[in-house]
Amino acid sequence: MTEILRVEQVTKTYGKRGEKQYQALKGINFTVNSGEYVAIMGASGSGKTTLLNILSTLDKPTSGHVFINHEDNSTLNANQLADFRSKQIGFIFQDFNLLENLTNRENIALPLSLRGISTKRIDPLIDRIAGRLGIEQILAKYPAEVSGGQKQRVAAARALVHEPAILLADEPTGALDSKSARELLDTMEDLNQNDGITTLMVTHDPFAASFASRILFIKDGKIGKQMLKNELSRQEFYHLLIDHLDTDE
Amino acid sequence: MIWKLSLTGIKNRFKDYTVLFSGLVVANMIFYMFLTIAINPAFIKNDIQTSTSYVQFTFGFGIVLLVIISMIYLVYANSFLLSMRKHDYGMYMMLGAKSSKIGVLIFLETLITGILATSAGIILGFGLTTVVAKLLIDKLGLTVTHFSPILPNAVLWTLIFFTLMFLFGALKNARKLVRTPVISLLKDEQKPAEMSHKTGLRSVEAIAGLVLLAIGYYTLSLPAAMILIIIPVALVTIVAGSYFTFNSFFSALIGFLLKRKDFSYRGIRVFTLGQLKFRIHDYTKILTIISLLFALALGAITVGLNFSTLKDQATASTYYDTTIVSSSSAVQEAKKQLHIKHEQTYHYKENKKYLYFKRAEFSTNPVKNNEFYVKNDTPAYKTVNLKIADLAKQGTTANNALNSMLPAKHHKPIRLVSQQKWAGLKGDKQFVTLLTVKNFQQDYPILLKIEKQQLEESKNYANVYQSSKAGAYQLVMNFSSGFEFMGFFLGFAFLTMLASTLMFKILTGAASDKIRYQMLFEMGTRMSVLRNSIKNEIGILFILPGILGVIDVLFGLQMFRVFLPAPYHNLWIPFTIFIILYVLYYLITVKLYEKIVLKSDTVLNKGE
Ligand SMILES: Nc1ncnc2c1ncn2[C@@H]1O[C@H](COP(=O)(O)OP(=O)(O)OP(=O)(O)O)[C@@H](O)[C@H]1O
Ligand SMILES: [Mg+2]
Repeated sequence: MTEILRVEQVTKTYGKRGEKQYQALKGINFTVNSGEYVAIMGASGSGKTTLLNILSTLDKPTSGHVFINHEDNSTLNANQLADFRSKQIGFIFQDFNLLENLTNRENIALPLSLRGISTKRIDPLIDRIAGRLGIEQILAKYPAEVSGGQKQRVAAARALVHEPAILLADEPTGALDSKSARELLDTMEDLNQNDGITTLMVTHDPFAASFASRILFIKDGKIGKQMLKNELSRQEFYHLLIDHLDTDE
Repeated sequence: MIWKLSLTGIKNRFKDYTVLFSGLVVANMIFYMFLTIAINPAFIKNDIQTSTSYVQFTFGFGIVLLVIISMIYLVYANSFLLSMRKHDYGMYMMLGAKSSKIGVLIFLETLITGILATSAGIILGFGLTTVVAKLLIDKLGLTVTHFSPILPNAVLWTLIFFTLMFLFGALKNARKLVRTPVISLLKDEQKPAEMSHKTGLRSVEAIAGLVLLAIGYYTLSLPAAMILIIIPVALVTIVAGSYFTFNSFFSALIGFLLKRKDFSYRGIRVFTLGQLKFRIHDYTKILTIISLLFALALGAITVGLNFSTLKDQATASTYYDTTIVSSSSAVQEAKKQLHIKHEQTYHYKENKKYLYFKRAEFSTNPVKNNEFYVKNDTPAYKTVNLKIADLAKQGTTANNALNSMLPAKHHKPIRLVSQQKWAGLKGDKQFVTLLTVKNFQQDYPILLKIEKQQLEESKNYANVYQSSKAGAYQLVMNFSSGFEFMGFFLGFAFLTMLASTLMFKILTGAASDKIRYQMLFEMGTRMSVLRNSIKNEIGILFILPGILGVIDVLFGLQMFRVFLPAPYHNLWIPFTIFIILYVLYYLITVKLYEKIVLKSDTVLNKGE
């Protein structure tokens, strides 16, 4: 199995030197292999968003290294980082995922045009991913004209259309009702299992986490335990997770 | 407690506050500056020597326009202030502050900001007025002498106007803040794009806009006699045409570009176009207003500058630069200072009945005269030699022309005689010297001095002075200087205010754009690409009304054909000044917008 992501001894301290400092991450280590679906769980304030921002190169670690596709992020300058993100990473966030002044199709086109993909190839690529996510009918609409669940699918399409090395999701279901949340999670699972999309999702919701094949627990800025789904069904994994969280409190 | 919070809020937004405050101060300075000339009785009386009712109308018109633009400007500046502060105040309200108390706070904040800005503006206005007045007077060679930068009446009216405006603004802000639900205060408005899919109606509107503009422009070219039709028709069609054009033609154009995928699917063009599509709709009103005011401002400067062409007009009607009939040492000394190009002297003897000239002097040196005629609807002059045979015939052009060059209260008949006969005649021996100088503009003060001196020596010279070239020149110069001065002031005032209005409108939207740029950055857009997108977007918002305004001016100048000989003369001067000022505003807006949009507390600064 090929390694897609490696996190080595990553720490993050907020606050300038001399001022009041706070260490949000205290030495994080883990790897994610190609085709894996990993969830990172943790209570509020445990450092999930901080970690995700570092993985996505939006923020720099205070110390340590992040390798995506064996490339060390910390050696890249600002422009290289931007290019790196546009090539290797797909994002889905809790909200504010789409640009409201663009149609859904135009939203999905952005990562491709950003990378300078030939204009003729863009529409076919959009149509393909839209078909995969079942959003062909709403491509001409604006984000404000579709439901929250549909919006997140469009966001997923945009995150995946340029075939990034890894899909990063920060509480993607956080703003959705349970039915839409379920649909999105099914889609993400489907994409992972059938299209081999490597996925890393951050969440505090056990239900969302139970779709992953592996769960890392983050607590006080450190990775504590990890749980593997192995041969368990999603329901069984979910119950195991609930039990684990109960005993842990 | 809440006062302290409010002050902290201001401290946190200090940069934005500085922008707002300096914008208000500038508006004030300009308003004051204009008022000082507009209602400066000494200046108008002494430096603009023309029929006063006309001047008062022009200045009155100027003041009305200035008040309108100031009001529009203040409305936008005011909503910028509210957009800047509403998040803070929404927060206090969520924390339990009474909305009535918040209302009082924003009311006082607006009013105090306004009054401070007004005071600062007036004080700085003294300086600005002095500097600009001096600059214009020096650079343009204007003869403005009765201009004083400190005028109590102007101070008073500026104070009254701005205080009233800020009072209304403060009331409006307070009402708006109290009535808006807290939740929408806290959330930056994520207004969805205006989504009208009625393309049919849209294209009708787009065509109607262009047709109306065409009608308006055509109307402006109608003969001046139809002025009563021209003004209302042009006003209505151009205003409506500009509105429709912005409302639909440009969005149709953007829609078209968005559909051309080989154009739009490059970099983040699709985003820039999306922003514009969204914006132009939202901006229809302000872009319409700005294009019209832009036209007025540019028109004011162009027309103002154009009055100087009247100077050439004034000098074209007379061939000789001066007439000398006195041999006094004062006159002859002054004459030595002239740079004479050509000089011809005619001697005559005057008795009780006749003036006797030597015929030979006229045949060796014919008297030249500029004759008026109309060429392609514009007045023109051609130089001719006066017919010697006609000189002595009363009532002929030649006779009249010669008479107007001679000093005499009652014109005696002219007789042309031979040299021998002349020598034998009795009578008062006199002469008349007609001369031209190498550079009239340079020598005209001396010419004027010579003529005044002769007038002093003999009342009879008044006849000659009546058609004095230097005198006419001075008169027109005084008159046109005043207009040039006003045109410049008005033009500057308008341009700075309308450019700042556009600036505030754009900056007001910046807060809600921030998240979009953040998103693009996260998706892996290079900083330079984001900057270019901002430059293009704001550039287009500036350019569109600019272009429409320039077209308005180009057509509108035709109306001035009646009293300006060449309204399109030296057009590049006002245009250059305008473009420089406008570009400056554009650059400032881009910088400020970038500061708001590309600045993020956690993420973006690390990307640099
Ligand atoms: N910019 C910052 N400056 C200082 N401290 C910060 C900053 N961002 C986060 N923190 C602190 O770091 C810690 C981790 O924050 P983080 O946002 O990563 O938590 P989280 O796990 O994402 O929480 P949640 O589930 O609530 O989103 C928190 O204690 C937070 O207060
Ligand atoms: Mg978080």
